[in-house]
Order: sequence, then C-alpha cells, then structure tokens
Amino acid sequence: MNLNPAVVMDNGTGLTKLGFAGNDSPSWIFPTAIATASPSGNKKTGSSATSSSVSGSGTNGSNGSSNPYFGNSTSATNFGGLTGGKMLLSNNLAGKRGTEDLDFYIGNEALVAAQSPSYSLSYPIRHGQVENWDHMERFWENSIFKYLRTEPEDHYFLLTEPPLNPPENREQVAEIFFESFNCAGLYIAVQAVLALAASWTSSKVIDRSLTGTVIDSGDGVTHVIPVAEGYVIGSAIKNIPIAGRDITEFIQSLLRERGEADTSLRTAERIKQEYCYVCPDIVKEFNKFDRQPEKFAQFIVESQEKTKQKVVDVGYERFLAPEIFFNPEIASSDYLTPLPTVVDQTIQACPIDVRKGLYNNIVLSGGSTMFKDFSRRLQRDMKSIVNARISQNEKMTGVKSSGVDVQVISHRKQRNAVWFGGSLLAQTAEFRGYCHTKRDYEEIGPEIVRNFSLFNVM
Amino acid sequence: MSQSLRPYLTAVRYSLEAALTLSNFSSQEVERHNRPEVEVPNTSAELLLQPMQIARNENDQVLIEPSVNSVRVSIKVKQADEIEQILVHKFTRFLEQRAEAFYILRRVPIKGYSISFLITNYHTETMKTNKLVDFIIEFMEEVDKEISEMKLFLNARARFVAEAYLGEFVY
Amino acid sequence: MLHLDPHNLLLQKTLAEAREAQLAGRPLTLDRIVSDFDYTTFHVSNAPEDKSMLWVSIRSKAYQTVASCGSTYQSYLKDKLEAYPGIQLSSQTEAAYDISLIVDLNKLTQEGVVYLSLLKVLVVSYPFHLAFEEFDRLSKIPVPVDEPPVLSDVLFNIKHRDNEQFFVKPSNDRVTVIFETIFEDETDKIFGKVFLQEFVDARKRNRNIQSSPQVLVSHEPPLEVQNFFNTHRQQAGSDSDQKKYITFVLFPRHFQTSELQFSTICHLALFRNYFHYHIKCSKAYMHSRMRYRVNTFVKVLNRAKLDDEDEEDAENKNGEQEHTRKTISGRKMVY
Repeated sequence: MNLNPAVVMDNGTGLTKLGFAGNDSPSWIFPTAIATASPSGNKKTGSSATSSSVSGSGTNGSNGSSNPYFGNSTSATNFGGLTGGKMLLSNNLAGKRGTEDLDFYIGNEALVAAQSPSYSLSYPIRHGQVENWDHMERFWENSIFKYLRTEPEDHYFLLTEPPLNPPENREQVAEIFFESFNCAGLYIAVQAVLALAASWTSSKVIDRSLTGTVIDSGDGVTHVIPVAEGYVIGSAIKNIPIAGRDITEFIQSLLRERGEADTSLRTAERIKQEYCYVCPDIVKEFNKFDRQPEKFAQFIVESQEKTKQKVVDVGYERFLAPEIFFNPEIASSDYLTPLPTVVDQTIQACPIDVRKGLYNNIVLSGGSTMFKDFSRRLQRDMKSIVNARISQNEKMTGVKSSGVDVQVISHRKQRNAVWFGGSLLAQTAEFRGYCHTKRDYEEIGPEIVRNFSLFNVM
Repeated sequence: MSQSLRPYLTAVRYSLEAALTLSNFSSQEVERHNRPEVEVPNTSAELLLQPMQIARNENDQVLIEPSVNSVRVSIKVKQADEIEQILVHKFTRFLEQRAEAFYILRRVPIKGYSISFLITNYHTETMKTNKLVDFIIEFMEEVDKEISEMKLFLNARARFVAEAYLGEFVY
Repeated sequence: MLHLDPHNLLLQKTLAEAREAQLAGRPLTLDRIVSDFDYTTFHVSNAPEDKSMLWVSIRSKAYQTVASCGSTYQSYLKDKLEAYPGIQLSSQTEAAYDISLIVDLNKLTQEGVVYLSLLKVLVVSYPFHLAFEEFDRLSKIPVPVDEPPVLSDVLFNIKHRDNEQFFVKPSNDRVTVIFETIFEDETDKIFGKVFLQEFVDARKRNRNIQSSPQVLVSHEPPLEVQNFFNTHRQQAGSDSDQKKYITFVLFPRHFQTSELQFSTICHLALFRNYFHYHIKCSKAYMHSRMRYRVNTFVKVLNRAKLDDEDEEDAENKNGEQEHTRKTISGRKMVY
C-alpha cells in the first residue's frame, strides 16, 4: 500500500508554503521567486563572478545550522542576513551551453543569487495567478525534487488556487503536473475554502460547515470571500487595496517623520511583526500612551556586522498601523472604506438565505490578520453595523427581528491557514478518492481538472 | 531548405489559395443553421469539392478538403522514429490544448494526420486569405524544424546528464 | 540544479532547528513527517517525557530486503550512527516504521545533523558494504591467470520500489550493480531509452570519464542475475518484458577507501531518482519551448487578422473623419 504522505503546496503571490499532509505547519516557507540565468551578454563576467563566489561553499549545505536558507520567511522581498554570494550553493552550471534551463534558484536562494549579475530575479505569480508558466514549472520542479525530495510519481498533490481562477489556468497546472511530473494524483482547491477548513481547529467552531466569509490578508491585497457550502460566491468577492505592505510602509513613513535612526523597510517590518496590536478605541489609546510612557517601546537594530546598534523608538504606530484597516483615511486618501463595512457589503451582496451563515462564521487567514485583538475589534464593529441595520428595520416594519449572530473566528493556525487547511483535508482517508489520477488524465485530458468534487463535510 | 521541400510547399500554397474561395452558405437541411459543410456528414455532393492530397513522401502529406463554405487542411508531420513520433504527438496535443488562440485549429486531427485546421468563410471574411496561407506554410516549415530541434536537444541533454553522472565517479 | 544531493535538506533543516532551539533553551515541540525518494518517510517527534530527546524514525520500502541481506545489519547501523555523539539506535521501533533512533539534542553535533540527513543512504548502504567485504575476501584467493573470474554465489537483491529492484553482485575483480527499470508513461519510456543509450556511450566518448564505472543496458536479465530470475520466476510479472536492466560495473578504484565507498553508494542509491529527475526536467524544458512556439505561431496568425485600423481607415474615407482622432503616441480618441 502506498503510505506516502500527500504533498500540499500553496503558492501565493509573495510566499510559497510547501509541506506534507499531516504536519501541523509547512515544512518550507520561502518567497515565490526564481532567479534564472540572464540571457544577456554579460555571460562572461557573470560566470567568472559566480565561479569565484561559489568556491567557498564546499559540500552543499553541509554547514549545518549556520545555513541561512533554513529559516522560514515572513517576507517576500527581504531575506535576513544577505551575506552576498558566499553562501550560494553551486550548481556548477554557470556558462555550460545547452543547460540554461537547469541553471536557476528558487526561494531564498534566488534572492541571494539575484545579487550576482548573471542571474535575474522574477516572481512568477502576480495577483495570485500564475503569470509566467515557464518559471512556475521550474519553480515546482525545484520545490519537489530539492526541497521536498519526493518522486512525484509516488505522491498525491494538493495545490491551491485563488478564487475566480480561470479554468484554463487549472488545465495548464494539470498539464504540468501530469505530463512533466507524472504525479500520481492531483487536487486543486480554492484557497478560501481551505482557510475555512483550517478554522475547524478553533474551539469556537462547532458544526464544521464550509459556509463562511474568509478575510484573507497577505502582503499585497486583502480579499473578502464569501463561501457557501464549499462554493465561492464569485460575484460578491471584494478586494481591499490595504494589506501587509501598506502597513509596513505606513510605519516607515511615521518613523521617517520622527526622524528615527533607522527607517529601512526591514526595520518597519520587524516593528510591525513584533509590536503592533489593534486597540478598541483610538482616542483612548492615545491618552493611555500619554499617561503611561512605558507603553512606548524601543526597538534595537543591529547592523549586519553586529558591531553597531541603533535604537529606534516605537510609539503610536503600535496601534495606529493596524488601525488603517478600520480607518483607512489615516494612511491613504483614495481608499476610504473600513474593513468591517466591506465585509458587511460583501455579505449583503450574497443570496439572502446564506447571509446568516456568512455572518456567523467570519474566518481570518493570512499574516496581516495576526495582530492582537484584530478579531475582537472586527467582531465589535461588524456587530454595531448589523445591529444598526436591524434596529432600523424593526423601526420601519414594526416586526421584531430574531437577530443575527456575528462571530469572527481567530485561531492558532491563522498565519498559514490555507496551507494548514490543505494539510487537514489531504490527510483524510477520503482525499485520494477526490483526486484526479494520472490514469484519469490520460483518458480524458486536461479538461478533467475543471471539476473537483468537494470534500464531504465530516 | 532542402531541394524537395520548396516545390512541396509551393504546391501546397497554390492548392490552398485555390481552395480558399469560400462563401457564406446556409444549411440546406436545418433552417437558420450555418455549418461548415466539410464537417457535416451526409452533405449533398454538390457542396463538397474534390479533396486534394499533396505528398512529398509517405511521411509528409497534406490533405485539403474544400467545400462551399469551409476548407479542412490536415497535415501529416514527418515522424521518422519513435522519438519523433512522441514529440510530434506531444507538440500537436500542446497546440490543440490552446486551440482557442488559434481560431482555425481543429481540436482533434482527422484520422491518419497529425494536425488539422478548419477554415470557414467566417475566417476568410475576418482575416486576410493570403496571410492565412502564409501561416499554414510557415507552420509546416516550423513544425519540422521544431521537432528536429527538440530531438537534438533531447540527445544533447541525455549525453550531458549521463556524462555528469558518471563524472561523479571519477576520483 | 544538476545533481540531486544525497542529503535530505528538509530533515537536515528540521534537526538543525530543533538543535538550535534546544541550545537556546526553547525546545521545539515537534511532530513532523519528512519524506524522501523511493517510498521513504521519516518521522521526527519529541520523546514523550523529555523535549530534549527526539525520536527519528525511518520507514523505507527497501528495508525488508536490505535487512535480509545479512545478519549483522543492526550492529552495522549501530556502529555507523553511534559514532556520532547524541545518536542512539533504539531497541524499540515506532509502530509503522522500520528503524527508530533516539537523538539527544544537547549532545548532537552539527556533523551529527548532517550525518542523520544521510540516513536514507545509510539504510540501503548495507548490501554494498557486504559486497565490498565479499570482494575483499574473493580478491585474496589466488586465481590462475587464464581462468575466468571467480563468481561468488553471493547476490544481494533489494526491492526499493513496488516493481523495481536492484542487485549487488561481488566477484573477485569487480562489484556489479544491476538496476531494473520500468516506465509507466509512454513518453518516459522513449525518453528513458535515449538517456540510457547515452549512459552506455558516455564513457566511450568522453575521455575524461574513462575511469568511471562501465555501464551496460540490456532487455534480458544479465548473466549475473539470471539464476535469480530462474528461481524466482513467479516474481517476474506480466510487465517483465518491458523491463530493462542497467548494469554498473564497479572496479576496485571505485571502492578502495571507505570514503570512496560511501560516495559511490550515495551516487548509486540516487541513480534512479537522478535519471527520472532529468527526464522530467527535459519535459519541462520542452514545455517552455512549446509555449514559445505557440506564441510565435499565434503572432503569425494574428498578422492575418484584418486590423481594426484598416477598417477605420476605410471608414475615414467615407467622410466620418471627425469620429476618430489619434494622439501623438498613436492612441485613438473616441468620442
């Protein structure tokens, strides 16, 4: 019997999460980036540069724990400890003709390799959808063989796709996975549905339904996606142009205004991850800060050589930065709708018979929803919007409403909720039955992946 | 370009130009239908013209089936050995998978041929006929070239890979 | 990436992280599955009562047949692994796994982490190790010069995949390793043929690799293993006629020292994976080529399209000039 664990891959715009079904967190998290050998004429300088830079690497990766590629990333563009090409694992391919397609790096290695002139960096996924299939195919190739060390013929794969992904893209994925990699079986799941499944770990969830509203906030964009019984209600999806990067940039601008010692994007990002939280009331919070100076924090930036230290004060941005979800006007002048209003509008745009379920189960997913008390604030604001509508309605019709229960669910697996949901579903005994196998593909063709049966709710 | 290829392509070009005289034609059998007559079984004999087969050799053939409002062009791509066979199969399947972008490509080739095109009067009305012919001729030239390049690549890669592997044993 | 690394990068990362966290005083809670080629799965988890101890278990398809190659397997593994501080072969094995190790994170060294990431190779290295020993024994028996080489009756047979196996056969002047391969996919079958042929020819063509092992490919089981197939005829299923046999002939220079032995084993253990990996890479490259072709063909075809501009030019002649105007960059302004 084939006991091999299924492979779960979540390729996002910024970060890729790879791992095996049954694990509680992804094995690898790195940028969805690929550094390919530049076709341009700098071959000569390039190859000499790489050959000199790789000479010190010795046996691949045998440096044990000091290998910087091991850390899981939280950012798609930054990578801690960029020590130049020194750590680049050599693939001994520079300058060999006819093998250019093997000469590339992905993930963190790509960020390092891109510092040398002979490689150029690109991000094959834009806005959640694959833009460059050549690069994506090679990205997968390296993910499977180098990072996960699996023979795709022996494993089932669960991939994710954004909502409203055109079926042609699915077919292309199937073409790559079945024809290039001969994978044993394939399931492509919508990210929002997986995020819902991941919320089943929360104690608040009792009925394990696939109905709910998913707020997925990553680096680039925030989506509000209603899902009814496992199907995405595509017409009601709303996007908000505020996400992780905007928060980081907002913090950076505050630091600059104050003239802090270090105002790099990296510092801003670290401050965001370590100090920010959501407050219940912004005015009260300002007062609190003024009365209790200990609320102000200090963040110490170490220079790369760890010799000099810079001290950056962290002040109001601790609660102001995440506040731009709820009061966008403090950061931008062209987008002004607060997140709770957008969620409410989204649910109101859905068929009336599912709205209760959608209010009842608002699920958070993605790194930018990780702020402390984010769910509590969202729930409170949503409740007040809904209650205002109900009371207005009651006044106008004179009929007593049974009320709508708003519940925002926050859980421990929120950061990689999509991946975790995939891992949960792919380890069930039924998973293989839902996959399309290589044999199905050969019999019917790529159009087979246009339909996947939904996971039955347990 | 080899000596025999030029006249072969010229013959295909002239035959295609002659065949691509299409006009709008409503179905004789079903009211308000307009269908490519060459694809419809049991079409009245007067709507179909004489099919033409142009062959360079038994591996390189073109079949042109004209009718009053549509022409079906089927190409048999040279397949000398099983590698070329599998490459041609892969390549044509890849193209057919993207037939949407090709307007005139048929998703399934007719029996005995590698790839088929169906040009209807709608296409000749929205596209320039001589450029369509150019496309088919260029396609025929490029496919052969592509297949042999892929075969060369495969051999070169296999050689490189084998040498790299065995090179690891040289101590 | 050209070569597959014998190290399991993910296992290495997991252990290195666990070790660092332990040394920093914040032990990780681990319960992880890590996979490797050829139906190999690792399970890394905390010992039930003590977080500084890790259980590392491995399950591998090849284990059953490898263990039956000789009686000293356990002690062989013990010797190899326990040479590194903090690694201990457990007497009880975790359910559903073949071998369990207990790793003491406080004592584990960086070298130990790297060595553990080679665990899969180590598991299958046993028959090779026995074969090299047998070779030593045979080569010391003096042979008359014009006699054929002494063939030992020792033959190790390892089933590393569902329908593929490999053999290791020592004799007095060489060690022969024979892989059985089968392809399920039509394309792979043809590509595989091309690749295998090049493996056979590479040594003849390239002078630099003359000292590498000789490679032979045959449809019939080679002489060395024919006896095995005659006695195990029932095993040869219906697909046996599609199988091919690849023989690597290792000469003494490939296993003179224990370092050379280990490196040879690493490469041989990855042969099938390397081979299949490159078939897949070629297919991926061909996809890129075909995508490029599709784009050029579509461009040619689009040239045939009657441009909107042409139509509008025609309209303009009819005196509707004021409806379209162009900006300096060629864009149209439509009112």
